[in-house]
Amino acid sequence: MLRPSANCLCVITALTFGITGVSAAYADAQDGLVVRDPHFGSALFYFYQQDHFAALTRLVTAREQQRLEQHVAEAELLQGGLLLSWGQHEEAGGIFERLLASAADRPVRDRAWFYLAKVRYQRGHLESAEDAFESISGTLPPELEAERHNLLARLYMDQGRFDSAVAILNQWQGDDAWSAYARYNLGVALVRRDSLESGASLLNRVGTMRAPDEELRSLRDKANLALGFAYLQAQRESQAKPVLQRVRLHGPFSNKALLGAGWADSADQHYERALASWLELSRRDLLDSAVQESLLAIPYAYARLGATAQAAEHYSYALAAFSTELDRLDTTLGAARSGELLASLLVRDTDFMGSWYWELDELPPGESSRYLYFAIADHRFHEGLKSYRDLLALSGHLEEWREKLDIYRHMVSTREQAYAQRLPYAEARMAELDVPAMERRQYDLRKRLQAADTRRDILEVAPMAEQAQWQRLLDLEHSPAWSSPDSAALREKQRVLKGALLWHMDREYKLRRWQHERAISNLDAELQQLADQLERMDGAIATVGDTVVGFAVRIDRLEPAIDLLQRRLANTMQQYSAYLNGLAVAELQDQRERMASYRAQARFSLATIYDRMAAHTSQAPAR
Amino acid sequence: MVGLLKCSVQLTLCSFLCVSGALWAAGSTSVLPALDRETQALKKAVLDLNRELFLLEEELLYPSNTQVAVFVSLDVGEYFALDSIELTLNGKKVGNYLYTERELTALQRGGVHQLYLGNLKTGSHELVAVFTGQGTHERDYRRGASLNFDKQIGAKYVELRISDREQKLQPEFIVREWE
Repeated sequence: MLRPSANCLCVITALTFGITGVSAAYADAQDGLVVRDPHFGSALFYFYQQDHFAALTRLVTAREQQRLEQHVAEAELLQGGLLLSWGQHEEAGGIFERLLASAADRPVRDRAWFYLAKVRYQRGHLESAEDAFESISGTLPPELEAERHNLLARLYMDQGRFDSAVAILNQWQGDDAWSAYARYNLGVALVRRDSLESGASLLNRVGTMRAPDEELRSLRDKANLALGFAYLQAQRESQAKPVLQRVRLHGPFSNKALLGAGWADSADQHYERALASWLELSRRDLLDSAVQESLLAIPYAYARLGATAQAAEHYSYALAAFSTELDRLDTTLGAARSGELLASLLVRDTDFMGSWYWELDELPPGESSRYLYFAIADHRFHEGLKSYRDLLALSGHLEEWREKLDIYRHMVSTREQAYAQRLPYAEARMAELDVPAMERRQYDLRKRLQAADTRRDILEVAPMAEQAQWQRLLDLEHSPAWSSPDSAALREKQRVLKGALLWHMDREYKLRRWQHERAISNLDAELQQLADQLERMDGAIATVGDTVVGFAVRIDRLEPAIDLLQRRLANTMQQYSAYLNGLAVAELQDQRERMASYRAQARFSLATIYDRMAAHTSQAPAR
Repeated sequence: MVGLLKCSVQLTLCSFLCVSGALWAAGSTSVLPALDRETQALKKAVLDLNRELFLLEEELLYPSNTQVAVFVSLDVGEYFALDSIELTLNGKKVGNYLYTERELTALQRGGVHQLYLGNLKTGSHELVAVFTGQGTHERDYRRGASLNFDKQIGAKYVELRISDREQKLQPEFIVREWE
């Protein structure tokens, strides 16, 4: 049996919800921007990874810290776009309106008009959305331009202005996914309004387009399927079959295409050909309604061909298959009612909770999860699940903050203690440092140097050691033995040494004088630095206490705020859980009712065949 | 059985019409209006609180007077596929970051990665960054770049920039103070 693959699920959800890089369009519009503020670039770094929450947090924090002065308008636009992608339509709308009221550049204003139009459209304000679209005066970046045409076409369709929608699509020359989606939507809308010819033309164009990737190939299949069934409904079976045959044999829409092709052949009474399609289909996953129908269609075709025994055999097989499937559905329904299904959908998600670019692209293992495939393809279920998961991730995020706050509280308390311990020592040390007294000493030194310079006092600028040597030589002259005749040699030696020392000091005088002058001048800067440091210390002593207390107060305020939000999150998640379970139960009940109806049909048809066979057997002896 | 055919076609067409309706509603917020409003309000409240927590964390751990942040940016990246960066400040290893493909794409599109956030006292400092990756022809490549900078009172931002030097067909590694 063919089970829905991860890839298949991705394509289904993408096709159902028109996910063709909405945020990618915004991202492309940002490409080529020269980053002048690093914090703006940092927000972009997370934005390009589709981590919208991290990007938003960095952006709003940097804006509050006034770190985005060179990207004021761009930052606002990015914030609006991020809020829009994150489902914050009202706040995003407010940002775009504020941006338009400011004197931003034309390209920025055009983009703001575009996003405002999108917000208004999503909120159902069609006329004001159209006004906003019309206010775009220039050309948008290519990706946004394509989205603009697509949105405008959708807006016209919503207003019932199909001619305008066709005109806008014909105007748009870009060969891209947006226009393909728009053509598909418009084609189906026209078919709905019984304008089969106009709708067929658009669907045909999508159904025969070049499709370089899986998403577009699936859209092409879907267009062919829609057109084929529209022809079948209009009883134009000969036109339906070639269109249905364009659908790939293995793809998300192949089952319905095989079923439709069989019905087209059957309507033309080509039952053998119909059987070929249906027998192929009957080997696939019975969960698909097309496969279920094929189990009834096969014996019908055999019966039409007069093969009654084979028809009975296939009805019996269908009866057994439907019964088995009904039992499984009952089990799954029980699980859905008890809320187990939602938990099983998120059980494999824990590794990705920290990241914010999660998409459900794989179903959890287990028998019951296969039934969820169709629930997930429902727009409401998908959107609800996405919101539920967003809230779950936010809750996990707040829990991380709570743990961090515990650490920060401890840190602040340690700082407070350290501050109290070190303050007396620091204050005592600062009291010892008398800068004005130091400045007076510097003044005196400068005066002494000037006086020495006037007298050319070589001794004044000499090092202490030389001054001491000079003093010792002078002291010798006052010793009692100095005048003794025996001291003649000593006197001569002292005279030579005095002369040598004087000569040396005189020779070094200029250099030493310059060195002293420079040292005294350097003191200016050092004293200034010391004064600054002391001033900063004074400031720190005056404010550190307050800052530490301030941090403690902020932590005290933030912790209950986290608790409050956690309670609100839990309450809202509970509501989502009930809502999603309700949707899953309704979907499963639909499946059950359909299956029960098919089983009843199979049972009735089988009974009819047996009756005929019995009647035929009882008439035979009489003949 | 013709009834089954009609029923089948109707059902299939209906499913298309429903799907196309969903397509039109793509991006629409309406799961349940009240629930959606509460979700929007909650997201806004969490975002505001997160901003406050972020500010508290930064002011507490990296006060602006001593703060130093090192950012990584990439220009084109044709001649060098970045694997990791090792960062040393004043001879002490302060960071070693291995880039994922997703992060590299974000860098190539103009994102800037904050590689390091820390504290330094005023004065002279030396920063050394060692870039590891693959150069042209898938050759392993390891290059270092350094910067001596003076830290004053106030935050200091340093940029590690990898750009392609077209003339020499080689990558260029620049470390500079972010102006």
